[in-house]
Amino acid sequence: MMTRSGHLLRAYWLEALMVMPLALYIGLLTFVPVLQAIRMSFTDRYDGSFPTLSNYQYIVSRPDFGAAFLNTIGITIIGVLLEMTVGLILALMLARGFRGRGFFRTIILTPMGVPTLVAGAAMLYFFRTNGYLNELLLRLGLIDVPVYWTESGLRGMLAVAIADMWKVTPIVVLLLLAGLEAIPRDVYEAADVDGATGWQAFRSVTLPLLMPSITMALILRAIDAFRIFDVVMVMASRSIPVMSTFVYINYFDFQDQYSASAAATILLLMIVAFVAAYFLIVERRRGELA
Amino acid sequence: MSTHGQAIAHPDAGAGARTGAGVDRLALRFGFVVLAVFFGLMTVLPLLILLKVSISSPQDVMTAHPPIWIYNPTLQHWRNILSSDALWSSGRHSFVVATGTAALAVLIAAPAAYVISRLPRGWRYGMVLALLFTRMFPDVAIAMPVAITFLRLGLNDTDLGLILAHLVPNLPFVAWILVGTFETIPREIEEASFVDGNGKVGTLARVVMPIAAPGIAVAALFAWLASWNDLVYAIYLFLGERTLPLMTFYYSNRGSVFDTATFAVLLTIPVMLVTLLLQRYVESGTLSGAIKG
Repeated sequence: MMTRSGHLLRAYWLEALMVMPLALYIGLLTFVPVLQAIRMSFTDRYDGSFPTLSNYQYIVSRPDFGAAFLNTIGITIIGVLLEMTVGLILALMLARGFRGRGFFRTIILTPMGVPTLVAGAAMLYFFRTNGYLNELLLRLGLIDVPVYWTESGLRGMLAVAIADMWKVTPIVVLLLLAGLEAIPRDVYEAADVDGATGWQAFRSVTLPLLMPSITMALILRAIDAFRIFDVVMVMASRSIPVMSTFVYINYFDFQDQYSASAAATILLLMIVAFVAAYFLIVERRRGELA
Repeated sequence: MSTHGQAIAHPDAGAGARTGAGVDRLALRFGFVVLAVFFGLMTVLPLLILLKVSISSPQDVMTAHPPIWIYNPTLQHWRNILSSDALWSSGRHSFVVATGTAALAVLIAAPAAYVISRLPRGWRYGMVLALLFTRMFPDVAIAMPVAITFLRLGLNDTDLGLILAHLVPNLPFVAWILVGTFETIPREIEEASFVDGNGKVGTLARVVMPIAAPGIAVAALFAWLASWNDLVYAIYLFLGERTLPLMTFYYSNRGSVFDTATFAVLLTIPVMLVTLLLQRYVESGTLSGAIKG
């Protein structure tokens, strides 16, 4: 065994050398910090005993943590639903050949080239109490009194989700468009011969074949939505707490690394649980269909 | 049937064509245009508002009913920002950090990506998944312990410290893109190079890397952009110094409406230019492999 690994190393020393820096880096500056955060979250803030759940008990009892937890989940659900719906519509539109398609594509992809932070800042002027959304709604006669959009609760979740959506929908469009363009034409011709209507073709041909791209886009987007930070910091850093800003506020404003670590660990668990649940549910259903 | 292309994309287009009613088709086309204009406007308006605020006098913005048109244009906010020392020091930090991050990300990730791309299928898939797996870690769960460690090492408020931190999210992403790039380079080319008497290192330097250069450039630009835009790591590691995103956040946090808008526009301009450059590559499908994994 020794000689075999020694032999392998001699044959592939260059390859090992080429992979080493990346592996070391990810190990030292990704896995180690994450483990440090998890460890700290189970360490008692007063007597340093380990492991203990005291930090978790403490943050769970705080109302701002409950708000951050619910806001994160709400923003993720609203945001991902909106992004996937609008992203799919735009991808379907772009998959058609029409005059001005290139121009439309460039316009639609513009937010990709805008920092997330700037997207938040732009939406600030849109969602402010004396912002342009209220002005528009007032002029249309839909409301009589300006709405306070960035308050905690469903309205604030919606405002943040829309601001985030503006920034990230282009990525969903690109992912879904790549999937649409990979669907061979003759599948549609077969559906056409079978007498499928446009809607039927979409339901039974496009959607199933697009599923891998949809899964990819949905998972990537949900992971990023759980981690949302920039947009919230700029739009409503105090009034709409989310998990990431809760971590930040505890670390900087309260100098409380323990609560911050516990919240960061819970956020990590939320993301892992979501990804695991998605694969379990979707894979199981696919198994039933087959 | 010339409507296939449309039936693919628009669920209703096929049905409209089938009934053969010209009115239906016209209505559909009208609906399509309305939808396109709506989405186009929604995409562009927030940016126009930002630009407008950055060149508006307070009386055009700080009112209960902000007007759409700019009645009192002014360059005062721009003049203030461009003449402030804060701009130049934060701009320099942003530029140095983004450039350093892009260079180091490619330097570290490209060799590893090449090796991964030459692994047997199962291994390659596993490695790519492992790279993606790191994306599940919340930045805040990494940035905070890193900030505590860097504080001990004296790396806070230094460009090097922020570069090291920005490599955390960028390395897996750059490696992921580059695995896709190297996969497209046929092994026969390398074998031909071996036959010509080039060693492994010579083949890599003279044959593989030049072919992969466009893909590497795209990956580097992505890393540059991500670093230029970053707020999370900067906010944890830069306590006294500031980057451009930190300046923008600082002003928005303080409630300075005009400075925020002006800084936001300033931050966006280089990004827009780089993205326009990138879009050509995205169009040509360089990234489609990477995006699909």
